[in-house]
Amino acid sequence: MKLKPTNAWALIALALLLAVSVWSFWPVEEKITQGLDIKGGLSVTLTASPLGAGELTEETMSRVETILIERVNGFGVSEASVQRQGQRSFLVQLPGVQNAQDALRLLGEPGKLEFVDLTSVTDTATLDLIAQQLEAEYSGEETTLPQLDPEGYEPFMTGEVVTDARVTTDEYGNLAVSISMSGEGADVWGDVTTRLSATRGQVLIALDGRAKSAPAVQTPILDGDTLITGSFTVDEAKGLAAILQSGAMPAEVAIDESRLVGPTLGKESLDQGLLAGLVGLALVAAFMVAYYRGLGLVSIVALVAYALLMLGSLGILSRMNAFALTLPGIAGLILSIGVAVDTSILIFERLKEEIEAGRTHRSAAKSAVRHAIGTSIDADIVTLVSAIALYALAIGPVRGFAFTLILGIAIDLVAALLFTGPIVRMLAEGTMSKAPAFWGVKGGDTRG
Amino acid sequence: MAKTRIDFMGKKKYFFALSGALVAISIAALLIRGLTFGIDFQGGTTMTLSGAEGVTTEDVRAALEEAGVPDTSNATIQPTDDGGFIVRTAESDTARAQEAFSAVSEMLGLPPQDANVTTIGPGWGDNVTEASLVALAVSIVAILIYISLRFEYKMSLTAVLALLHDTTIVLGVYAISGREVTPNTIAAVLTILGYSLYDTIVVFHRIRENATGLTKMSFMEMTNESINQVLMRWVNTGLIQVIPVFALFFFGGETLRDFAFAMAMGLLAAAYSTIGLASPLYAVWKEREPKFQALKRKYAAHAAK
Repeated sequence: MKLKPTNAWALIALALLLAVSVWSFWPVEEKITQGLDIKGGLSVTLTASPLGAGELTEETMSRVETILIERVNGFGVSEASVQRQGQRSFLVQLPGVQNAQDALRLLGEPGKLEFVDLTSVTDTATLDLIAQQLEAEYSGEETTLPQLDPEGYEPFMTGEVVTDARVTTDEYGNLAVSISMSGEGADVWGDVTTRLSATRGQVLIALDGRAKSAPAVQTPILDGDTLITGSFTVDEAKGLAAILQSGAMPAEVAIDESRLVGPTLGKESLDQGLLAGLVGLALVAAFMVAYYRGLGLVSIVALVAYALLMLGSLGILSRMNAFALTLPGIAGLILSIGVAVDTSILIFERLKEEIEAGRTHRSAAKSAVRHAIGTSIDADIVTLVSAIALYALAIGPVRGFAFTLILGIAIDLVAALLFTGPIVRMLAEGTMSKAPAFWGVKGGDTRG
Repeated sequence: MAKTRIDFMGKKKYFFALSGALVAISIAALLIRGLTFGIDFQGGTTMTLSGAEGVTTEDVRAALEEAGVPDTSNATIQPTDDGGFIVRTAESDTARAQEAFSAVSEMLGLPPQDANVTTIGPGWGDNVTEASLVALAVSIVAILIYISLRFEYKMSLTAVLALLHDTTIVLGVYAISGREVTPNTIAAVLTILGYSLYDTIVVFHRIRENATGLTKMSFMEMTNESINQVLMRWVNTGLIQVIPVFALFFFGGETLRDFAFAMAMGLLAAAYSTIGLASPLYAVWKEREPKFQALKRKYAAHAAK
């Protein structure tokens, strides 16, 4: 068996990739993020619909997203996430959440933004809570803050008057948040700010009953155009703008479905999925060896390389927070076994065919690898096109599935180019003709 | 190994008749019986409770009533093999459903970490279906464009026709068997798109390869020859795709079983339609081109033998 430079380079590249893969997925429990349906927690899908007769624009959707993120952060759950799904849905995931009622209630609410004159709060318990909450907000601690006592404060206006809020800079170039108000709001705001500016009194801004900010009034503001300054970081300014905008939640957001998965049951599903995967792999391997003999062994090694590369990619994607393994994802992995072995079958069948047509093993192998990979690429691209459309546009379980399928197709091509192709060409250099029966090919022309 | 020489194209009329009949039956079943949609499409709550030793169905029902779940007489409470229960109620408000669940598990003394609670609002099924239809339409258009550019438009149209044939039959099987349609079913149906095309493209690739410089036989014969050439490939890739699906069906647990069933039906339909529908249809269409008409006339005598 002679080692040609191109084949050798391909195998070296593969060996390196495999080493990186193993490093990036082992140990599996730590390196591959598990989805909520496996590790347990609450997942909620919310769907936005336009208010009144309006339309859902991209801008509206990204504002809704910012607001949802702001609310989810308020739960103080680590690794909580908000993802866009399809054109107008969001998937909110709260791992390990036990108290689902509160979370659901808050997510589904239209969002209540309130402006309160801090001096009007007389209840000391509420004042203490406010001070405590504001401190926690400013120090950026990730804690779940208690709700303010609804009886303990009285807002002078609500967020409906806010028509716009965005991040901007003040005259000195520092980050600030600008607010615009409707005429009605500007009138109330003018009165309150005129009164408070004399004493530099504070206005408390509360979202869903939680204190968020308490700027001091510097001057009377009569036209509603307000600038909140302070030493904001970009994230803080964005967060405050989002809070102010949430008073005018730009779309109606409804909870479409919620799934609370207990960690024990999730583990059970994972085990069943793994069992199905192993049984599938074993049967496929048995079939390949029974039918293709020696070449079947080659395809099993290719399948192992494929599996390692796949897990490695999932490990890397998990590290980038771009992937979490869900049950549909496991189904996708199991079904991609078929995709991976298909390419081997295409190569082997073409090889047999060309040898039967009287070509030498070597030239048959060369031509078989080229043709089969060409066919495979075309078939793969078509499959890829539909998988990408599914991933980008569909909602629900199909996305996890489409994702693993996309990855599977890409990795299959890498494995074919770097392993199955080179190895078949190398075997055809002479090894095959020594034991044609073992390799499942005809003796044919053995001149090499 | 002897070369296979099966006259697939000679039987194309039977294939077309079979496909037509299957599609007609499927459409009729869809119109008459319709699909049975699962909880995901109607709205409602499913609670899976486990670790409930000594708890009876009556206890669960009493706890539901106590927890203030409306209309408990219509709730289904189904015991599972491992001593738990699957409870289905009509509650579609997520927060209220969670509250009821907490109350029930507390009353029955069940560990909450061994439970699943799924609540589906009334709009969810429609949203899934709508998004799926958009995805379906976009992928079909993208596929049409790709195959038209890479191969030719006659191939793209026949491939997509085979695809619609496959999905209609899968939905037909659901209508006839009365199996519940879940979002997993929809996911599987959409995934079949990819598989159905993979098969078809492998055969089309060979047809195109053999079609260049075709003079020795008619287009129809060449198509038949091409199918025979890739027959073992077709059989083996089909088997390899079906094996993991069956493993999923038998060992993958309840959630994945549903998915596997639709996939299995889809794979069978897809494998058949490649040879029974896409290829002969394409050949019939191509033979109408003047170049291939001439070949057809030339070898008509040969074919009639």
